Amino acid sequence: MTKTKEESLQGELIKNFRFLDGKITVSRPRRMSAEVPPANFREVLEYAVDKLSFTMLCAITGLDETANLAFIYHIAREDGIILNIKVAVDRNNPAIETITGLFPGADVYERELVDLLGAKVEGLAKGSRYPLTDDWPAGEYPLRKDWKKNDTKEVTNA
Amino acid sequence: MMGLFYMLVFPGFIFLSVFGMAAEYCDRKLYARLQNRVGPPWFQPLADFIKLVSKEEIIPEEANPSMFKIMPVLALTATITAFFYIPAWGYKALYSFNGDLIVVLYLLTIPTLTFFLGGWYSTSLYSKIGAVRALTQLFAYEVPLLMSILAPALLANSWSLSEIAKFYAQHPVYWFFNLLGFAISMISLLGKLEKVPFDIPEAETEIVGGTFTEYGGKLLGLFRLGIDIEAIVGSALLAAVFLPFGLGLPPVAGFLLFVLKVMGVICTLSILRTIFARLRIDQMMAFCWKVLAPLAFVQLFIDLILKWIPLK
Amino acid sequence: MHKVVIPIGPQHPALKEPESFSVTLSGEKIMKFSARLGYNHRGIEKACEERTYVQDVYLTERICGICSHSHSTCFTQAVEEIAKVDVPKRALYIRTLVGELERIHSHLLWLGVAGHEVGFDTLLMYTWRDREVVMDILAMLTGNRVNYGINMIGGVRRDVSAEQAKAILKAMDTLEERTKYYIQVATQETTLIQRLSGVGILSHKDALKLGAVGPTARASGVNRDVRRDDPYAAYSEVKFKVITDDHNDVYGRTLVRMGELLESYSIIRQIVKKMPEGPIITKVPRKIPAGEATSRYEAPRGEDMHYVKANGTEKPERVKVRAPTLANIQTVAKMLEDRQLADLPIVIAAIDPCFSCTDRLTGIRQTGKRKKNVLKWEELHTYSITFYKEHGIDFTDLNKKMAKALK
Repeated sequence: MTKTKEESLQGELIKNFRFLDGKITVSRPRRMSAEVPPANFREVLEYAVDKLSFTMLCAITGLDETANLAFIYHIAREDGIILNIKVAVDRNNPAIETITGLFPGADVYERELVDLLGAKVEGLAKGSRYPLTDDWPAGEYPLRKDWKKNDTKEVTNA
Repeated sequence: MMGLFYMLVFPGFIFLSVFGMAAEYCDRKLYARLQNRVGPPWFQPLADFIKLVSKEEIIPEEANPSMFKIMPVLALTATITAFFYIPAWGYKALYSFNGDLIVVLYLLTIPTLTFFLGGWYSTSLYSKIGAVRALTQLFAYEVPLLMSILAPALLANSWSLSEIAKFYAQHPVYWFFNLLGFAISMISLLGKLEKVPFDIPEAETEIVGGTFTEYGGKLLGLFRLGIDIEAIVGSALLAAVFLPFGLGLPPVAGFLLFVLKVMGVICTLSILRTIFARLRIDQMMAFCWKVLAPLAFVQLFIDLILKWIPLK
Repeated sequence: MHKVVIPIGPQHPALKEPESFSVTLSGEKIMKFSARLGYNHRGIEKACEERTYVQDVYLTERICGICSHSHSTCFTQAVEEIAKVDVPKRALYIRTLVGELERIHSHLLWLGVAGHEVGFDTLLMYTWRDREVVMDILAMLTGNRVNYGINMIGGVRRDVSAEQAKAILKAMDTLEERTKYYIQVATQETTLIQRLSGVGILSHKDALKLGAVGPTARASGVNRDVRRDDPYAAYSEVKFKVITDDHNDVYGRTLVRMGELLESYSIIRQIVKKMPEGPIITKVPRKIPAGEATSRYEAPRGEDMHYVKANGTEKPERVKVRAPTLANIQTVAKMLEDRQLADLPIVIAAIDPCFSCTDRLTGIRQTGKRKKNVLKWEELHTYSITFYKEHGIDFTDLNKKMAKALK
């Protein structure tokens, strides 16, 4: 049986990064996911973009996994294959490196992680925040699971 | 006493206001019908005017109140004054002297200047950009307009509108040679009236309301009335210079013919504004200087040649 | 020359939705452009985590008013993938049908808006009149003009009858004829071309680098379309061309959208012809097994992406939405480099921005420090009822009557 495109991409990644063995899954045609330790994230991403032509960044998803915060980078190829690279970092120090060097368009996605999950994105250029308001209180991250919404409303009645 | 009547009632303020609103209605209705819409009822311009006049007057804190208030009045008076020198029916205008053509053109420039000053003294950013655009645009369309109206005057050998009308009524053949000038002045008039494709100074999608952003209530009402009357006066000027037919008719018929001519010009303008998109200010400048102005020169030459070599 | 900074928005006639741009001008030339997004932020991602999957279908539908079907389809696809449901063929065809009808109404809407932004209101009036044709079809099929509510996890909620199919085909003929006329207008009308061509240039390289999607990318020669590259619903069974253009400007984007309109008509004809018989929905358990899925959908504005993570309960663990405008908005600053102020509205409009899609998530507004003015939600509710009672609007009697009638 010949190998599918996804399987050969999987093999290629494992060949170059031994630690990925068993960490890459192909859930269905055109869908791959990989779990990468934060220290190796950059080289895996660069390899996937430069050598395996995953040239488009679809989005960055932020997840709260109680102990960790996880970030999933959805990158896609022209032929429709998506690789979801998942990076889990410590909740108390959720530091990740910016990827705006590779994808200038990642800027807003990373700002979103900063605002909603409290990620620390190193190397992200200063700019206006997105998407929360400027007077949003510090240390409140709505997408964290332990965040409780305060169900009171401010009304200005005469 | 008669002078006051002329000024205030006929053919002055009241007549022009009614006529202006009627023309606005025709313009809006035609525009709407061409766009496949129903369009406003006949009293809409009047209703708009009454609504605006009954509203509170708001003057921006930073604006210069006297300049802000005086500009709409100035625009209105200038246009009404200009009308007195245009031969509406018959050969003779209400007031006429040798050189009134220049005066009319000058008076018709004043509204644009008031748009500029009104916008500038509103101190709003949108108004200022609109004001600068209005002035920039003035330099673009004024030259072709002036030249294309100058050409028939040269041929008629007079600076008086009444004299020009008389000349062309006596030599109707020459009218045919001025058609190019008619087209040029029509396009320039679109620029003067700030209508699409030349509504750049008040392009709502870019600078909100342009010059008139800060204006509201009575002052805006006066400005709008001024623009309506400017449309009438501009069209009447073109009709007098370029459509000199049936001037010998009895008063009532002559008057109706005049109304028809003006409405004809107004309707042509509405059709033009239906079929175009708004240009950018740089494109407008380029078009006026590179296309319209040379064409106006051609018109000038045609008339000069006709003057040396008379047709008969 | 003197520099001025003018604010465009949050409220501005050129913007149909609140968003704030700040433009630094030197004369008429744009020196700097910056955007502050987030004015339409409603907290939908967080809200999705607190609702069941079925409720979320309706919630995602409300992310955007124009591409509502895109978001709900994208979401249900992800959930169906996690739950490993086989969606009936006929349901997939109906989803495709509604999706394409939505694309038609969105592109016609865009054409009108573009006309308005360049001051060509006649085009606006004409295209929006013709848009009514497709709106009527959508209302006939789904019961709604927007927010169709046709999707359900496991299928669709309404079937298409033979008469409806006939009406669709008839409408396609009308629309095709009209669209051809608009193509003629757009390619021949001088002032329109002058305002569109050469404006908002986005080179092929920049489009790739900034991650542009949809017609914006395709007008820069990026041959990318999720319908073909990553086929979903019934797209693998219909033939269509991916329209690209190498004008790189607003004119190109107009041509791409008009070309896509023609393609949509052909897709719809094929769908109606090929639609298989059978059920339109399968039963899906309320609790979705743990798992995750990424789903893509080619919305009218470009690629829409949803990521859903399930944890075995009836509510999702995480729903992530990336609407097409968020990917495209970053190209605007590039497009506006050294352009005139007059080009700003059309350049922004040309990516067909949809800010409510973009800003889909916000928490609830935090209370300020002024304790006196803080009311609990219930208190506010009571307050509003008593307030209107005092002003003569009282529902107490009516409530009692209704209760009695129910008994």
